[in-house]
This record gives sequence, structure tokens and C-alpha cells, in this order.
Amino acid sequence: MNLNKIFKNALLLALACLALSACAKKVSTGQMQGDVYTGTDTVEYLASGVPDRVFFATNESVLTTKSRETLRKQAAWLRKNSNINIVIEGHADERGTREYNLALGERRANAAKDYLMTYGISADRISVISYGKERPVDSGSNPLSWSKNRRSVSVKAN
Amino acid sequence: MIRNIIISSTFHLVIILITAMSLPFLAKKPIDLPPIISVELIQITEKTNIPFAPKAKKIIEKVKEKEKLLSEQAPPKVVKKEKPDSIPLPEEKIQKVEKLEDKKQNPEKIDNEVKQVSEFEKDELFDPNNIAALIDKSKEDFGETTNKTDKVSQDRDKTVNNIGLSLSEEDALKAQIFGCWSIPLGLPYNENLLVRIKLKLKPDGSVIKSEILDHARMNKPGQGFYKVLAESALRAIQLCQPLRVPTTGYERWKDLQLNFDAREMLEG
Amino acid sequence: MFLRYILILFLLIPFNSFALIEVDITRGNLNPLPIAVSPLSLDSDSKSKLKTILKKDDIGAQISIVVENNLKKSGLFNPLNKDSFLQKPDIAHFKPRFEDWALIKAQALITGKVTFSDEKLRVEFRLWDVLAAKEIMALAFTTVPSNWRRVGHIITDKIYERLTGEKGYFDTRIIYVSEEGPKIKRIKKLAIMDQDGFNTKYLTLGNELVLTPRFNPTNQMVTYLSYFRNLPRVYLLDIETGIQEVVGDFPGMTFAPRFSPDGKKIIMSFAKDGNSDIYTMELENRIVERITNHPSIDTSPSYSPDGKYICFNSDRSGYQQIYIMKSDGSNVKRISFGKGLYGTPVWSPRGDLIAFTKLHKGKFYIGVMRTNGKGERLLTENFYQEAPSWSPNGRVLIFYRETKTDDKGEGFSAKLWSIDLTGYNERLVNTETDASDPSWSSLLSD
Repeated sequence: MNLNKIFKNALLLALACLALSACAKKVSTGQMQGDVYTGTDTVEYLASGVPDRVFFATNESVLTTKSRETLRKQAAWLRKNSNINIVIEGHADERGTREYNLALGERRANAAKDYLMTYGISADRISVISYGKERPVDSGSNPLSWSKNRRSVSVKAN
Repeated sequence: MIRNIIISSTFHLVIILITAMSLPFLAKKPIDLPPIISVELIQITEKTNIPFAPKAKKIIEKVKEKEKLLSEQAPPKVVKKEKPDSIPLPEEKIQKVEKLEDKKQNPEKIDNEVKQVSEFEKDELFDPNNIAALIDKSKEDFGETTNKTDKVSQDRDKTVNNIGLSLSEEDALKAQIFGCWSIPLGLPYNENLLVRIKLKLKPDGSVIKSEILDHARMNKPGQGFYKVLAESALRAIQLCQPLRVPTTGYERWKDLQLNFDAREMLEG
Repeated sequence: MFLRYILILFLLIPFNSFALIEVDITRGNLNPLPIAVSPLSLDSDSKSKLKTILKKDDIGAQISIVVENNLKKSGLFNPLNKDSFLQKPDIAHFKPRFEDWALIKAQALITGKVTFSDEKLRVEFRLWDVLAAKEIMALAFTTVPSNWRRVGHIITDKIYERLTGEKGYFDTRIIYVSEEGPKIKRIKKLAIMDQDGFNTKYLTLGNELVLTPRFNPTNQMVTYLSYFRNLPRVYLLDIETGIQEVVGDFPGMTFAPRFSPDGKKIIMSFAKDGNSDIYTMELENRIVERITNHPSIDTSPSYSPDGKYICFNSDRSGYQQIYIMKSDGSNVKRISFGKGLYGTPVWSPRGDLIAFTKLHKGKFYIGVMRTNGKGERLLTENFYQEAPSWSPNGRVLIFYRETKTDDKGEGFSAKLWSIDLTGYNERLVNTETDASDPSWSSLLSD
């Protein structure tokens, strides 16, 4: 057995291990937590201090703490402006099959709707629509762009 | 704590060593190549014929025969896969007037009829002696061929040399035909894809006569693919003419049966 | 004395008759069959008349090119270069010199003749087995001249069936979604074209988002998803009359529609309160039936060709997987167990396979598995591709593929691709615009 070769292989292996461990480090640029978008690039406001959208993790429709906070602000604003109705648009990123994403977008929009309802907003005032992956806000093909596109957006309906 | 670290590092070291040592072996692992098919220049000898006991051979061949019969008589049980529309086209000689109506799928409503007016007569423009004509010939001595193999019995030691081709002779012939046979790729892979063709050969290996043994199957409903397969086998023989036969022992191989089986290729 | 004679005779006969040598041929080549497609001959009178009508110089040659391209794209045939042909088209059609065609290694030969009389185009063709030196098929068609491409497709279907033993798929159409504009604001229209990308027609104007069109068995109707008035609903469109109508009266989004194999029902998903389930609606009496009832997402339903089973996509196990059930919704069984997520199951017209999209480690695959989930084979891998649709003979899949955008989010495109079950014969399908969501029609002239 060629000792030199063994040594070489060991070295390669160690290098590979290092490289892998570097990959495993969690991506936490300022704009993402896990894979949920936390930035404000694309966010619009229904009124001052009331963001219009919340973001989701891949394949998820669970509201994050921050999303709940945003939705509570929306609920408060809706209570104050009882003449305003909204449409919640549910969206998914491009990394899924079209039909499943339509269902996923609908699920996300309803997660937001249900939360608003628990804060006293009547179901009559909220309608939902899913766009699946059809209306991205960011056309990029990278994890950050995708995180911006996994969202539900509350839009004034009247 | 320290003990744990020691255990852990030894464990890791062992794993790294094992992996490192085995890497060169892995790299040298023989690549799994398919068996070599084409053997072009083969020295044909008559001595490689393995003289296994005639009795054993007899049994083997009987079993083989049985298998074949079974597989032909009992079609695969997945019958639902046979679509009714795979019924072979009617005989070409029959005059038919078929109207292919466009089912109004065209957004513009134009006269989209495509009419098939006739199958005009087919004229034989070639030498009728050709093997082509044989496709339609009936199975003359089918019974004989299936029984012949049984007649080899133990007390005929002298004939042992005359049974079969030697391995190298057989390989040469196979290699040649492998190269000529274009397997139709549209065949259903879950059907019996065996075509047996009996040949009568000249001493130079050219074909005097070829005959499909399971001829009846060609016109059975749902077996349209079989005709296609049989024709491809006949084309292969035609393309390979003259066949690479041994230079001696014409009496042995003047009648030769080729069993074309596409299943292995299509499944793989 | 006599008996003895017979005995000797008996001993002698088997002694002289040798065993029939059998050689098993278990291998061959899977190379495409070399075929010569001679230009169809055209008399000068017909030629000049057809030239004024169709604005094509030599319609005989044009039809043969349609046939040739079809055969080539199938991956099963290798049409030979016409420059090497030794015989003139008219003579070849009358009496081919088989030696000449064998010389250029053709195993099959197609010849034909085009005539024009009584305002009709008449096309006859013959298929010859070169090695057996005989004609194996001869047919003629008449039609209006503008239909000449279809004649080419029908001829290809006949040849394909005669030489492969299975039905062709050339006289067919593809319905798809034509796409234009930037990725974040795509304009989508329904479009229909011949299987080879010619004769494109647009069925909607692009004012509203449309998705996932699918043919019914007679190819007259299409069911699809439209966002007309911002209400995503399943619609039914009569291609001939252009009349559209909403399918059913659902209080929410309906999507992922398909016809039942008999064309009498539409099966689709209905989403309400964050839950998608599968429903059917009978077109004749509008009776709606709920097929699944589960808090998970159930979508992308597709019937088996006998109508007895449905395969569909569900995340009831936590992730997207493929399930099958009886058509009444009973006996739900998961069939996909490989690594990754599975979507868009489509039952093959032969009934033996289910095609799907698979997502694994950031890659998208188009694959097939048997209906019990065994024998999974991945045919193609890419950054993004999905939505396979079967050719009517169950041999080829058409799907769409999207490209990755660059750092600036530009360079997006969506195209149709086809691949056959061998996984080797992958081809771009020509479309006038970007395209997605293809659906293959059944044979138009079957």
C-alpha cells in the first residue's frame, strides 16, 4: 500500500469535511431568518406603520411571531376603518409544481385571514385569492428572491 | 470529558483511515461493463464443442421446449394492457374506403376532410423467388423440428461431434447477427418477444429459405407488434447474408434455427 | 425377415438426421431504423396549380419533409440524406431499384405521388421493405390543399404503426399556455398548435391569467383555469365555437381540472378555508360529487384510462406525495416512497405507468413509475421543469422547462420539451412564444 497515497486521501477528506461544515452554517444575512424573509424591500404599507404582507418558510403556511405582529397591526387598522374591506393574496415561490402551489397560496392566505378573524375582523370583510407562483415580486432564482415571494399580501378591496 | 474526547477522536481517526485506505480500491473497482458483443475476427475451430452427456442435453432441450410452449400458449396475464386498437391493419390487398373525418377540432371551420380513397393495388415488382415471399408461407415441418432434438439418444456417441456448433462458431454467427438486427423500439416490453426462424442455407452461408415458426401469431388480434418484430428479424438475416457459418460440416448446419428474443434488450 | 428390414430402417433414419441447430439471438442494436423518404413526385400541371394556392414551390417535397421530420423526432428512425438518393421520385414510386436503396443502407423506403384535381389534393404513398424487396403498405388520401401538413402527419402515423407495431402520435395537437412579458407580470394566453409546432392559433387574448388547459377525449373541448374577473375558476371552452363557461358554482377557487376518460366528467380541486379537496362534476346534469375529504392539500387528479382509479397529489403525509384511490374516493393508497417530493401525477393512456414531477435536492425531474409505485425511472433532470402530458400512444411525454434567471433576475424563459420513455430522446418543441402547461390531444383521425 502506497503510504503517500493514503496521506493524500486523508488530506482530501479533511478538506472536504471543512468545506461541508462551512456550508452547514446557517444562512443568516440580515434579510432572512431560517428561510423566512425578514427584510422590508418589497413591503408596502396599508397605512403608516401597517405593513401589507407577511412571509412564510418553504412549503409552510404557519405564521411566524413577526407575521402575527404584522397581522395584529392590520387588525387594529381594519377595526379603525370599518368601511374598508380587504383581499388577501396568497403566493408561493417558483420551486414547486403549479397546481400544488395554487393550493399552498390559498392555504397561506387563509392562515392570515383566520388570524385576523381571531382579532375580531368579520369574515365578510376579508376575501382570499391564491396566485400560486404566478405573480412573484422578485424575478430572481435564488433563496433570497424566493423568500420574498412566499407571502400573503393584504390589499384594499374598495 | 477527556475520555469522551479520546473515544471520539479515535473513532473519527479510524473512520478517516478506513475511508482513506479504501479510496484507492474504490477507484480501481472494475467498471461494470456489459458483456462484449461484437467479436469480429474469430478463429473457428471445431474442437471447442463441449461434449456434454447427450442425455443431459436431451433434458435441457426438453425443458427449453416446454418453456417456449408455455410462454406462447399462455399470454401474459396483464391483458388490460392490450388496447383493442392494436388490432393489426387489415390485409393490404383488401380494397377499403376509409373516411377520416376531421372531428371539427380546427378553430377555423374549413373543410378539413382527409379522405383515404383507396389502397391501390400492390404490384409485385421483384423476383418472387426472394425470401420476402416466404413470410407468407405456411409452417411446413413445424412438428418435425420440435421433435428432432429428442431423437438424440445416448448410444449415438458418434454423432456428438455433429450436434450443434462449437462455441466459437456460435459466437461468430451471433456476433454477426447482433450487428444486423435493428430491434424495433416501439415493442411492448411486457409481452413475449420471441421469434423463431428456421433457415435453409447454402454451403456459403447464403439463405435459400427462411420460415417463421410461430406464423399463426402474426395475425392474432393484439399481436400486431409480433409481425413487426418478425419482419425485423427477417431483415437482419437478409442484411447479414451470407451468414458467417463454419467452413466445414455443411450437413450439420444446412438447417439452422435462429431464436430472436428482444426481451432482454428492451428490458435492460 | 420383413420385420428385421424395418428395424434396420428405423435404426438408420435417426442416425442420419441431425439435430436442428438452434442459435439464440438475444441482442441487436437499438439504432434508429435507416429509412429513405423520397420526395413525393408531382406532375407539372398540379405543381403550378398548387403553387398558386399554397405558395409553396414543390408541395411533394414539402410533405416528405413533414414526414421526415416526424420520423426523425420520434428517435426510432434515421431518415437518410436525400442527396444520396439515386432514383428519381416518380420512378422510385413506380418501381424502386432495391439494390440502389440497399446500397445507401436504407432498410425502408417511402415513395409517393401528389396530384391536384377537382380542387382536391390527392396524396398516395407506398412503404417498401428494401431488404425483403417488397411493398408493405400503400394508401392514398384526398383533402383540401390547405390540409397538406395533416396529410404528412397521417402518413407518418401509418408508417410508424406499420414499422413499430404501435400507434403513432403525429396527427395530433398540443394545447398550451403561451407566455410573454417580464417574469413578474407574465401575460398568458391559451394557444393550440400541431404537434410539430406549426399552425399556432391563440384562443384567448391575454386579458386574464389562464393556466393548465387540458383536452377532452374528442379534442373538441378544453378545460382550464382562468382568473376571469379575479375569480380563479375552472372553465370549459368549446374550441370550435369559442364559447366558454364556468364549470360548476363553487364558492371559492377551483383548479387542476382534467376530463374523465369518457369525457363526461371534469375532475378538479376545490379550495376553501385553506383546504383543497378533489371533486367531480358531471357535465350533462351538473351533479357535483366530493371525492376526497381530508384537511391536507389534495390536487392534480388524473383518471386511469378505464376510469376506475384516480391518481392524485396530496401532502397528507406532511409532504407532497402521489396517491391512488378508486374513482369513488375509497381505498386511498400512497404509491411514491422515494426521496424528495412528488407532484403532477398523470396516468398513461396505456394504463401501465404514471408520469410525475419530482423535486429533490433543488432539482426537478420528470419520471415514470408503475401504478403500484414500483419501478421508478427518472427521465430528465433540470433546474425547473414540470407538468408532463402523455402522447396518445403512451410513448412520449411533453412538459415545460423554465430557466434560472441571472443575478439581475433576467434571462427567464419557459419552453416546451418532449422526451420518450427511453430517456435519451429529449427535444425542444418549437413554439412561437414562450410556453408552458402543454397538453397532448388524442389522435385527430383515429
